[in-house]
Amino acid sequence: MTKDTQPIVVGVLALQGAFSEHIQLLRQAAKSLSAFDAQWTFLEVRTAAQLSQCEALIIPGGESTTISLVAARSNLLDPLREFVKVHRNPTWGTCAGLILLAEAANRTKKGGQELIGGLDVRVNRNHFGRQVESFVTDLDLPFLSQSGGGNMDGGHYPFKAVFIRAPVVEKILPVKEGPQVEEEALDETVIAPSRAPKGAIAKEAIGRPVEIMATLPGRAALLPNGVTTIHPEGGAGDIIAVRQGSMSGG
Amino acid sequence: MATELPVVNSNGSSSDADKTNFALKSGLARMLQGGVIMDVVNADQARIAEEAGAVAVMALERVPADIRVQGGVARMSDPKMIKEIMKAVTIPVMAKARIGHFVECQILEAIGVDYVDESEVLTPADETYHVEKHPFKIPFVCGCRNLGEALRRINEGAAMSRHFTMADNESNFANVSLTVVRTKGEAGTGDVVEAVKHMRTVTREIQRASTMSNSELYVMAKEIGAPYELLKETAQLKRLPVVNFAAGGIATPADAALMMQLGCDGVFVGSGIFKSGDPARRAKAIVQAVTHFEDATVLAEVSEGLGEAMVGLNVSDLDEGSKLATRGW
Repeated sequence: MTKDTQPIVVGVLALQGAFSEHIQLLRQAAKSLSAFDAQWTFLEVRTAAQLSQCEALIIPGGESTTISLVAARSNLLDPLREFVKVHRNPTWGTCAGLILLAEAANRTKKGGQELIGGLDVRVNRNHFGRQVESFVTDLDLPFLSQSGGGNMDGGHYPFKAVFIRAPVVEKILPVKEGPQVEEEALDETVIAPSRAPKGAIAKEAIGRPVEIMATLPGRAALLPNGVTTIHPEGGAGDIIAVRQGSMSGG
Repeated sequence: MATELPVVNSNGSSSDADKTNFALKSGLARMLQGGVIMDVVNADQARIAEEAGAVAVMALERVPADIRVQGGVARMSDPKMIKEIMKAVTIPVMAKARIGHFVECQILEAIGVDYVDESEVLTPADETYHVEKHPFKIPFVCGCRNLGEALRRINEGAAMSRHFTMADNESNFANVSLTVVRTKGEAGTGDVVEAVKHMRTVTREIQRASTMSNSELYVMAKEIGAPYELLKETAQLKRLPVVNFAAGGIATPADAALMMQLGCDGVFVGSGIFKSGDPARRAKAIVQAVTHFEDATVLAEVSEGLGEAMVGLNVSDLDEGSKLATRGW
């Protein structure tokens, strides 16, 4: 049954990486949401004009250095920061997307790399090592059942999480409107430039705390040598998914 | 434009080792989509590639153009050089091994490279057998000229047992170690004609298979020397069941976009970058061209003033003996 409501446009940044996979899964997810009576349009985003049509955005996995460099050369970095930080539109970053949405990151390529920002966290790139060290693990994701949903087939069982050269949230940073200057002072750490939020909703959103959505218990200690053991704030285990207002990443 | 490669359902338990193995090996391949992988022979070149926006670098001893000129046996690179490259960049590092040389593959895995290319560009070590890819923890990329060759390579990386039940959209070959297929093209020539031929051949054969009945597919499987189940899966998907890159002779942003419009998921560039007048600039232009492969305005912009392209050799002038693509089977 079609209503004359406007479809909700969700963009997937399609500069490089697993954007096709995200579009396919969004289509599947939309089917299971048919009860909500909303119409959805999923859009591959490569230009500022395409981004301006979107109400929400997903930044997929891929190589964060590539996505960031191509975004800069495609004159898309500023529109992305406007979308994410000025308007605080709902944005979700997966893997490389989490790195781009972080306000601070380390283990970047030599000479650093550009971040979009939006999440007050510091991300450690390639934390879980190279391809040979990559792994799959069953994770309990409490927010899935808390939000009333199960897995996409309606079942409730652990989520199979795949970690391939994956980043980690190394530290939850203090929530602030300006740039994370203390982070910039650290060795080999880059920060995202700050952008002032516009409008009441965005201004409210920027003060929201960072919530930890998922952790990987005790994994860091098990890693093969060559990877630093780290102790993120907020309890044991590695933080692998976070949410702050309308921003989420994992 | 590439047909979608269906997402493997990630629900369910990870207790099945075959499934886990596949998730890791195919996952990295999917992360490389829409990207450019560049041949490099040292850490400095690797840094130039990373700054240009390469999704990965391919470490090798000599670029194909030099192997052509200098001749001799071309082998796996010095592990020391590969390790220097791994230290210099944060993107994945691939390395080439000779066809059939499984010990070179073992060494590359031990160093910790992220992908092995069992490559016809190097001198083959075995005239009969390709490397059995299944025992390796790292994924493989291989070249192909046609559908039969592509599916044979995929089959070498497939699990021996296929006993588990699959979700509807899941690959029947849940433990494929070969997760990227590339066209062979004719490496080191700067002539894209062979890569185009190989891509068009694969596409045409898939198109043909997709209209066939099961009994016709049995006959086709026999004709092209490929396993029936893999052929059937390919016919249903209307594309190869793994990520499919272009390689061999790509020298310009237009070449790269041509291969993307023909349906490739990404591009390898070998001699085309570091044998050109301004490698950094050309590399950046090719990266932009692969993202914006359907936008002729962007393609025109990035093609401007790139300086000297690699001189190149016409494939039609090569005698059969000096063609690299005929290595492997």
